[in-house]
Amino acid sequence: MSEALEIKARGVVKGCATGEALVADATLSFWGEVDPVTGKVIAVGHPLEGQSLSGRVLVIRSTKGSSATPMVLSLAKLEGQAPVAFVNVEVDSLAALGCIVNGIPMVTDLEQNPFECIRTGDLVTVDAEHGVVRVRRAG
Amino acid sequence: MPDRVHLSDGQREILEGARGPYLATCMRWLVEWGEVMGARRLIPVDNTHALFPVPNLMARGASAATLEQYANTLREACSHRTDPRCYCTVHTLFVTMDDLDVPENAPDQVQAQKEITDLAVRSGFIPTFTCAPYLVGNVPLKGEICAWTESSAVVYANSILGARTTRHGTESAIAASLLGVVPEFGVLLDANRRGTLRVEVAANLACPADWGALGYFTGKLAGLGVPVFNGVRRPSQDEAKQLCAALATSGGVSLCHIAGVTPEAPTLEAAFHGAVPEEFVAFTGDTLRETYASLRNHTGDEVDSVILGCPHASIREIAEIAGLLEGKRVAEGVRLWVDTARGTKGNADAMGYTRTIEEAGGRILCDTCPTNLRMAAKRIVTHGFKQAHYARGMLGAEVIVARTEACIRAALAGRWLGDE
Repeated sequence: MSEALEIKARGVVKGCATGEALVADATLSFWGEVDPVTGKVIAVGHPLEGQSLSGRVLVIRSTKGSSATPMVLSLAKLEGQAPVAFVNVEVDSLAALGCIVNGIPMVTDLEQNPFECIRTGDLVTVDAEHGVVRVRRAG
Repeated sequence: MPDRVHLSDGQREILEGARGPYLATCMRWLVEWGEVMGARRLIPVDNTHALFPVPNLMARGASAATLEQYANTLREACSHRTDPRCYCTVHTLFVTMDDLDVPENAPDQVQAQKEITDLAVRSGFIPTFTCAPYLVGNVPLKGEICAWTESSAVVYANSILGARTTRHGTESAIAASLLGVVPEFGVLLDANRRGTLRVEVAANLACPADWGALGYFTGKLAGLGVPVFNGVRRPSQDEAKQLCAALATSGGVSLCHIAGVTPEAPTLEAAFHGAVPEEFVAFTGDTLRETYASLRNHTGDEVDSVILGCPHASIREIAEIAGLLEGKRVAEGVRLWVDTARGTKGNADAMGYTRTIEEAGGRILCDTCPTNLRMAAKRIVTHGFKQAHYARGMLGAEVIVARTEACIRAALAGRWLGDE
């Protein structure tokens, strides 16, 4: 592990969590594109297809709003397969609701482009209380 | 963290537990959601459309503990009365409560759903079980504040009826139903109802599926914005339903306007609050054909499923389908399903349409739809762009989206015979 990079961000949903980053400059729908029981992305052709969200810090452009988003997140959380935090470029209101209901922190408006400075596998701490994202490079 | 939402004394008391811990949690959800989305206050809500589904195959393989805990959250919600000022209806389920001899309609899940449903009814929720509440009596007036789940219905309520609702999820719609308030943000505010994308329609739109194509094409371009359609006639109710469903499928649209037609767009200028953009996107006959083609991914012509009624069929659609099936027979091995609300099926029964469809070898499916059921299918023909889009991803099926007559021809032949 090398030294940590610290990026200012805007806290959206409160909380603080650490996990391995899963990064894609893409949108993702929790309705139909995520299996809440395996925690995996099931959308064919999606850049994260087959990847597990379980325990990860999900760094994506945004989620796609579906009424079922909070429900899928709730089921994933009960199964122990939910992401531990969201880093999103745009805030989808239904993902925000799902995070509020399930106590999952979310941040947005990072001072640097998250797709350039966070890589899949990096150890990332999302501190929505203080508006900061800390990144430790993998390997 | 975001700015605070201003609360009345009564709202603050609920937040602090005056009406018990569950309603305090509901209030916290609404307040924190409002804070995130920039709301300054909570406002009274007249009308909700909530979700109470047992997950069935959506949580295939989930532990008994997870299912029980999830059911407990729904039981808890249903142990409180809906707000007396609020008209509350219920969204589609992940099972049908009718007898259905397919393994996807798991009997233990049906039983669990019936238990939750009985509780929801006692709580004050009207058991519509539909994605199209506006077809079975929940028809809000212009300006009415709603809290609806189901993105296609949200677009219909905002655009066609001129009511006002953001997109809700399970928990926020339940909280709104029980507390009678919603955070004021998004399209609840005048400023966010202004058009953002001008679409000039040059194509001749001849049937509901064509309007679905217009919506599917536009949703991709509009993102979270407000598209405005110009140069197009007034759609029928069924056409408007397809337009709204497709807009919410390919994009994150909550509201559109049709110049000269919808309640907030008497003119193109009105739709854009005065500032009509010069630039526009054209929807031509070629765009129409390309949009159908973009969603079709069939590698052969054999068909095993013909799925109609996405969003849930109106009585007029069922009448049309029955008329096309009269005296005919669906091909062996083809599942022809017409999905609708229980209330609409009651009328279809009375009109003899159900019998005609069943005698032809089809069936009317209530409460749910094949996508929600996770129905196994290899190749689906449907008139709904929304159905086609999700069947590709969620069922892994090949799909052909087409006008209703072409769907019925495929059902009778057991193979895709083309559009005409």
